[in-house]
Amino acid sequence: MKLFPSGKIRRKNGWVVARRLVQFLSLILFFFLFIKTDYTGSDRIAYAVNIYFRIDPFLALSAMLAAKAIISLMLISGVVLALCFVFGRAFCGWFCPLGGLLDFFRSFIGTRKKKIDTFFPTASRTILVFCLVCAAFSFHISGILDPFSLLVRGLAQAIYPGFNFLVNEFFGFTYGKVPGIGHDISEGIYRGLKHFILPFEQHYFELAFLSGFMLVIVIVAERVQSRFFCRNVCPLGSMLGICSQLSVAKVSGADEQCGRCVVCRKTCPMGAINPEREVDKYGCTLCMNCLRACPRQVLSVGGGRPQVQNSVSLSRRNFFTIIGAGALLYSVAGARTVSGNKNEPLIRPPGALAEKDFLARCVRCAECIKVCIGNGLQPAFMEAGIETIFTPKLAARTGYCEFNCTLCGQVCPSGALEILTLAEKHTFKIGLARINKELCLPFNEHIPCIVCEEHCPTHDKAIRFKEVQVVTKDNRQKSIKQPYVIRDLCVGCGICETKCPIQGRSAITVSSDGETRHQDQLPPISSEHGTNPYS
Amino acid sequence: MGHSRRWFVRQVALFTAGLSVSVPRFTYDQAEAAVPPAKKPLVVSVQGKDYVQLVRKGVELAGGIDQFVSSGDTVVVKPNIGWDRRVEQAANTHPLVVKTLVELALDGGAKRVQVFDYTCNDARRCYHNSGIKDALAGLGRKVQLEYIDERKFIPVEISKGTSLKRWKIYQDVLEADRYINVPVAKHHGLSRLTLGMKNVMGVIGGNRGRLHHDLGQKLADLATVVKPDLTVIDATRMLMNNGPQGGRLADVKQTDQLVLSADQVAADAYGTTLFGLPSDSLDSTVAAHKMGLGEMNLSAMQIIERTI
Repeated sequence: MKLFPSGKIRRKNGWVVARRLVQFLSLILFFFLFIKTDYTGSDRIAYAVNIYFRIDPFLALSAMLAAKAIISLMLISGVVLALCFVFGRAFCGWFCPLGGLLDFFRSFIGTRKKKIDTFFPTASRTILVFCLVCAAFSFHISGILDPFSLLVRGLAQAIYPGFNFLVNEFFGFTYGKVPGIGHDISEGIYRGLKHFILPFEQHYFELAFLSGFMLVIVIVAERVQSRFFCRNVCPLGSMLGICSQLSVAKVSGADEQCGRCVVCRKTCPMGAINPEREVDKYGCTLCMNCLRACPRQVLSVGGGRPQVQNSVSLSRRNFFTIIGAGALLYSVAGARTVSGNKNEPLIRPPGALAEKDFLARCVRCAECIKVCIGNGLQPAFMEAGIETIFTPKLAARTGYCEFNCTLCGQVCPSGALEILTLAEKHTFKIGLARINKELCLPFNEHIPCIVCEEHCPTHDKAIRFKEVQVVTKDNRQKSIKQPYVIRDLCVGCGICETKCPIQGRSAITVSSDGETRHQDQLPPISSEHGTNPYS
Repeated sequence: MGHSRRWFVRQVALFTAGLSVSVPRFTYDQAEAAVPPAKKPLVVSVQGKDYVQLVRKGVELAGGIDQFVSSGDTVVVKPNIGWDRRVEQAANTHPLVVKTLVELALDGGAKRVQVFDYTCNDARRCYHNSGIKDALAGLGRKVQLEYIDERKFIPVEISKGTSLKRWKIYQDVLEADRYINVPVAKHHGLSRLTLGMKNVMGVIGGNRGRLHHDLGQKLADLATVVKPDLTVIDATRMLMNNGPQGGRLADVKQTDQLVLSADQVAADAYGTTLFGLPSDSLDSTVAAHKMGLGEMNLSAMQIIERTI
């Protein structure tokens, strides 16, 4: 029998075409939901924009382990896990938007040197187990390397606003300069882009470089090895792979007809086919590339009795080492100052659970940061400990929390932020504003201002002013309006800090003091204005 | 030396195109700039429950729309849409008043009517919740409710300014043939009230909070450049306290009234009296009057008061 049979053979193209179509549609859906993660004229988010995070069993299991609670929003992820027992890891090959994106970019940038075997075959499993062990210790870091979180963070905080910046710069340059009809065309294109693709406003992110860098690295790694991230890092893929070892569907490898050419092995982007042409269900994403590539077309996909295969797995020693490492990390983390500190360094979004529960549930998906219309939410770095990286915080000098907006709670996939009604939102205190009299114009320089009072959105004004007589530095009598904050009414939205007109540091700043979620930390006596509504 | 308005508009275009590096200088010829001297400025005050009729009748009494809009004009109607507040909270201009004015401008033969405001809260929320977006829907392609385009803020040399010498002003306002100012009458913490002249805040760029020092004079300086052909003060409901944003319905007083005048200073002076204050209570009114931009003494105005 010849290795390459002569004559025309019918290649099994259909599977690959179907897979690419599904991947394309999934990417379209992903980008559509991504763009719709925004205010669209209604106080309610119209689509289930957070659906990718809710169907992610890795995040679901981590969050539930960490929170020691059933999170109903994420129970739907069980379906994805269950489907692995039928269709194997098809999720990764057919549906995952990051996987689709990697396949797309690989077709352009190629893989430099074909190394077939996975570089670090146990790495993704190690990461998976480590993340789950940490989660069990309520040290929830799964979101850092979760494929969806990583993808949305990179897009929302770097690529998308960066693209918007570039487009705005370009059309800002052409504006008024292109003569005649050319101007109408360029402006028409700009308007179209703004209407369908670009964000409403340019937003700015503190971790733009880091979030963007992580995503770009994952894409560039395709040069080193196809599906590098999926094979070597992805904890979700690993979890699905483990379940897939019991799957019904499988690609059958070598049979008697096989010419041992190992084209299938070379064409597999996951390195799931060994030299004996056996297909490892842990790695196989049912992408069907091998079916099409096989010169004799002897490979096929079909069902069979589930059976555990002998694929690479963690040794018992490694497993216990990981548990030990998790325990060590958790115990040392508990000895840090931030763990002993009872002052919350970060202002969390409205509806956030108490800090411990919030951190246990937050999956670092950046949906709340993406949807925040005031550009108030920013990803934290490590100012409150390494585990708080990428969690949302209010950075009120850059942006503020819009008083009548409740979108962040609506997009949170794990219930780390509760969905607030407008009435609840209006009294949900995320912090408290305080005036720095050294900086404030009416106090320090006797210059009229009260921009903070003007913007303070609470119906019963939390920022008011007193008209006082002052003696100026050149000994003149002057009447001036000086602002003050009423603790019980301030919700900590931060618009005062954002809009404070002085340059540099704001003369009014919000801190996490007085937040609704930590009522035990309120001052023991009620302040002078009326009674404390939270006591 | 003054220049014509046409000359100024060309300077704006050249500056935008990068063909001129000199900031457009605003110096009008005396004849074009000054309010007709001998004649008493006309101020119309109308009251009635039917806001559509109120606007129509008011404009008619003020001289008819033909006096303010000519065939083929580009018109800017500038309401106050600054806050994410609902109609009944009285922080933004009433949508019916805006809509009727836009319709009148179209009746007058306007080629295009632009409506916008540089909002304080998220612009989309303001446009939606003020009711203005819905009100203007379906008025046709000539009517454009637009969000502010940052590229259109042009630095303008304010030659007559005494406190403010240069500021960024919205290009469409500078270039429009006609400018109709439709502020809502309300309380303001710093300037006491916000009426017509304060509404200019919505067509200027930059760090607007920095204008709060010597605000009255700065508004008067800006009024030498941004001159409405017609000011319509919406006092259908007035925010009496906690302005300019309000929120509490207890602070809102329903008065079903409109004040119209081609003289923005006179409109503000009369509007001030609606709050029970003397007509010269606002610094901006006094400063603008001093600069010869308009009348602030009620006795020197021709006032028509009607109930519809």
